[in-house]
Amino acid sequence: MFKKFSSEEVTGQNQVKASVQRKIRQNIADEYPDLEPLLDEMLPKKSPLIVAKCQNHINLVVVNNVPLFFNVRDGPYMPTLRLLHQYPGIMKKFRVDRGAIKFVLAGANIMCPGLTSAGGNLDEEVPADSPVAIMAEGKEHALAIGYTKMSAKDIKSINKGIGVDNMHYLNDGLWKTLHLD
Amino acid sequence: MAVKLQPVQVLYCPVCSMPAEYCEFSPEFEKCKSWLIKNAPDLYPQLVQEAADKAAEKLDGLTVGGEEDGVKGEGSSSEPKKEDEVKRLPGGKVKKKVTFEDMQEKPEVVVEKIVRNKRKCVTIIKGLDMFGIKLSEASKKLGKKFASGASVVKGPTDKEQIDVQGDIMYDIVEFITDTWKSVPESAIYFIEDGRKVSANA
Ligand SMILES: [Zn+2]
Repeated sequence: MFKKFSSEEVTGQNQVKASVQRKIRQNIADEYPDLEPLLDEMLPKKSPLIVAKCQNHINLVVVNNVPLFFNVRDGPYMPTLRLLHQYPGIMKKFRVDRGAIKFVLAGANIMCPGLTSAGGNLDEEVPADSPVAIMAEGKEHALAIGYTKMSAKDIKSINKGIGVDNMHYLNDGLWKTLHLD
Repeated sequence: MAVKLQPVQVLYCPVCSMPAEYCEFSPEFEKCKSWLIKNAPDLYPQLVQEAADKAAEKLDGLTVGGEEDGVKGEGSSSEPKKEDEVKRLPGGKVKKKVTFEDMQEKPEVVVEKIVRNKRKCVTIIKGLDMFGIKLSEASKKLGKKFASGASVVKGPTDKEQIDVQGDIMYDIVEFITDTWKSVPESAIYFIEDGRKVSANA
């Protein structure tokens, strides 16, 4: 999704109203309860919260020029990988086997067999249509942020096709966008 | 109330920008290696081993190189060739890869301009320390002279360098040779389009 993303794809940046800011904050706190105590620092009420609208209905939540979260249309907010690396405990996790790593890093969606093989792992409670951190066999840190197309149970039983959409991965355009001026 | 999480510090590779553990999947892995050996040896023990082997091989080449002909024939041809064996040219000369480290052994100052965000740029100065110059003091002098931000930072190979905000390529040579008499103009080089060019050429 962010394969070729760059700051040039931002079609508009707006400082949002206080009410919208509260809503975004509430959505993030609901999705990632462990982050709640940090949101005062991360999304300070006093500094302006910018929502950058990008192509393909992507919105970036930007504070002090740093992209922290993104979502698609009105979908759930997901942290950027850099933020997730700092707080790895906030998301549910799937793990791909070692063989899948290079495909994920090339932007490919995550196929079920890469998650169900010996090197893979699934958090069985994850339903369809939810954000999930993509970890990798033998690695400590996440390499992508995914959005499930099937529930973990279905991924296991169907074990065919795309299980998780690859939303954001190491070295994609969003990863390279450290600052949005 | 939930416990406030502490941020995890992740070791990112300055070459490919990914967490160091993913460098092996980077198309730039070759370039990451020297940084990894110094900064993440526990993640890539095989790289450290390789580097040590190579160093040992080089040493062997230097000490026993002359007797090589005599030693040959003792079944050495049946030994499996090591993958990263030093390449030998037809004349028997050793083809040595020139690395950044090698370049840095001879004292010289390398100046490079990096353009960021189309207009903003940074001039990087490497090697002043090879002339016994304290980088922290040099950085202060540079900042003052060019009225801009100058700082000492760790470069990709863990050697310290000075970054000066802005393009100071035009005046830098004169300033260096005037300020530090120990640095001859002939030891100053520019990196232009990836090529090293002598400043007094
Ligand atoms: Zn790297």
